[in-house]
Amino acid sequence: IMMFLRCHRSKSVWAALCVLVLCWLYIFPVYRMPSDKEIVDEVLRQGQTWRRNQTGIDLYRKLLTECCDPKRMFAVTKENSPLGKVLWYDGELYHYHTVNNETYPFFVQDIPLQLPLKKCSVVGNGGMLKNSACGRDIDQADFVMRCNLPPLSKEYVNDVGTRTHLVTANPSIIEKSFQNLLWSRKAFVESMKAYGSSYIYMPAFSMKPGTDPSLRAYHALADSASNQTVLFANPDFLKKVGHFWKRRGVHGKRLSTGLFLVSLALGLCDEVTAYGFWPFATGLDEQPVSHHYYDNVLPSSGFHAMPEEFLQLWQLHKSGTLRVRVGPCVHHVDE
Amino acid sequence: MGYSDPTAGRDLLGNRSLCFIFICAFGLVTLVQQILYGKNYIKSGQQFTRLKGDEVGNWSGIVSYPDDGGMKPARNGRKRYLDSSDGSLQFNSTACRELRQEIMDVKVLSMVKTSELFERWRNLQACAWEQSKEETNNFKMSLSRCCNAPSFLFTTRRNTPSGTKLRYEVDTSGILHISPEIFKMFPDDMPYSKSQFKKCAVIGNGGIVKNSKCGNEINSADFVFRCNIPPISDKYSVDVGSRTDLVTINPSIITERFQKLEKWRRPFYDVLQNYENSSLVLPAFYNTRNTDVSFRVKYMLDDFGSARGVFFFHPQYLLNTQRFWAVQGVRAKRLSSGLMLATAALELCEEVHLYGFWAFPMNPSGIFVTHHYYDNVKPRPGFHAMPHEIFNFLHMHARGILHVHTGVCR
Repeated sequence: IMMFLRCHRSKSVWAALCVLVLCWLYIFPVYRMPSDKEIVDEVLRQGQTWRRNQTGIDLYRKLLTECCDPKRMFAVTKENSPLGKVLWYDGELYHYHTVNNETYPFFVQDIPLQLPLKKCSVVGNGGMLKNSACGRDIDQADFVMRCNLPPLSKEYVNDVGTRTHLVTANPSIIEKSFQNLLWSRKAFVESMKAYGSSYIYMPAFSMKPGTDPSLRAYHALADSASNQTVLFANPDFLKKVGHFWKRRGVHGKRLSTGLFLVSLALGLCDEVTAYGFWPFATGLDEQPVSHHYYDNVLPSSGFHAMPEEFLQLWQLHKSGTLRVRVGPCVHHVDE
Repeated sequence: MGYSDPTAGRDLLGNRSLCFIFICAFGLVTLVQQILYGKNYIKSGQQFTRLKGDEVGNWSGIVSYPDDGGMKPARNGRKRYLDSSDGSLQFNSTACRELRQEIMDVKVLSMVKTSELFERWRNLQACAWEQSKEETNNFKMSLSRCCNAPSFLFTTRRNTPSGTKLRYEVDTSGILHISPEIFKMFPDDMPYSKSQFKKCAVIGNGGIVKNSKCGNEINSADFVFRCNIPPISDKYSVDVGSRTDLVTINPSIITERFQKLEKWRRPFYDVLQNYENSSLVLPAFYNTRNTDVSFRVKYMLDDFGSARGVFFFHPQYLLNTQRFWAVQGVRAKRLSSGLMLATAALELCEEVHLYGFWAFPMNPSGIFVTHHYYDNVKPRPGFHAMPHEIFNFLHMHARGILHVHTGVCR
């Protein structure tokens, strides 16, 4: 082949080939994901041992504060988004929303959290949580974050707990499960009662079609005199967090909500424990694990790079920056 | 260059000859009208003024004709009934018969000057109104033949089974498939039956009702209809009362003032709370734009746990009444909701009283009144034929079918 190419003696062909190879390498990096089996082995080797590493915690908080400033920026507030501020959608190209008289009143004055938070639980929705009996551990934290309006009905309480301080709500859920809140809103308001007086964290300015449903969720809750506060995710913050993880080798189109929340928790809390993060089809005991603890519906593929995200979390777990709980929680062992 | 159109000089049924034909036709129609209704015009020596009903918008400012009718001595030397608004004379007395006949002599609105009509109407106020059983029953008969409000006023589960392909009133190409979801929103059957209520009041929103002090009289009715969620706060309740049993809502109000209920809903709900437990009626099947907004009202009330009835006008009923009134001489793109309610009331009630129905820029005494009792916003011209509707009511008043109140209540 080399002989064949050389006989052309054309530099441009060489250049084109090089560019092609580089592109190929960029899109499909040589780095190979370890197989599920290897990850399971790795997790099993680590076992339940985990040592808190204050320097790691401080380092990550510093890194995150430098890049994304979660304390001030994680939600859209009147402070960081005054009237006339242009919010660029982080999930779309060339779309922006200018804060106007209509949207400005929806923003909270300032980040309403009592910082710093001590112990935080970030609860993913992985099927690993099923029959884990982690509910008690989760509830023991000072601040519990959950993803995408998960069900907290009776049958799950033992595994996922009851307390919620912040729950994210994807506009796509509102579109799918609540007909965009255009018709009856009762079902939505009722289902939100499960989260007590928590903050509802909505990425209203990430995707264009998500803005209206998110604002409508605000209307629905305010109309029903609910004591929940809707916080709109700051697209700037989401974008910066996305870049932060991309530099560390997470190559999905978009980070999962779980990783956003973990990043937020790392920036806000002294001690972070993550539950229900397990994006693999088999568990530690080689048994199949459902995708969510409440159903087994796979998401559309190619959007999130869950395994890569999990590896990142596992690195942090090993370094003692945060704790990832995999497998059932055994109570008499810890604390 | 130098080329000229050879057909230019001929104009075979082109613009010019068409124009000529139109002018001829117009002239012919005017002539026929003169012959048919001209007698009165010659006799009374009044100037024949054309008064088009759909030019309401033009009346707001300058009066284009001298309003001297009221100042003149009674025409044709007929005795004027003094203290005309006291209603002291018997409705069926000879004098009143004459006065009633005077109103009924006016066959079309354009036949006389409005000032002339006003004077006749003012004279009639001397007579206490009384219902004419025969006329009323005849009218009710013809209404129930055409429209049948007791079973077709609203869409119900009975008259609109699930799976019906409902035709819209104006978007005739639009057809709505009644899905089980929509079907669920309908009441089981019509909530009202024929002549169920003894005395009904239908409240139009005309400025005439301002300062009428009719509040108590209205509140004493057995059933009160209102149009287009009018304000009935303390400021107005002296004149229009506060009792409401049925109120219509035009979806355009919801679209404009409440963003189609796609955003906030509580403000609209709070507005509805003013109407105690009155039912709501929406023309959901008037056109395709109205449907979603109207359904949303129903959903909203369910969400807030309100037991208020929400009904949708049956498009066929609206079409039938429109046809019915077209025969009576009310031709408009759309009948006003006031006329719809009055029509329904005529079937549902024994005795119908109309308040605030007046579509002229001045009251019968020639004093200017606002368009609505709460504001002075004129509607889109050419949409409703209000003066014709009112004119019809005046006729019906004279015939003893319903009672039009235009004066001050005692």
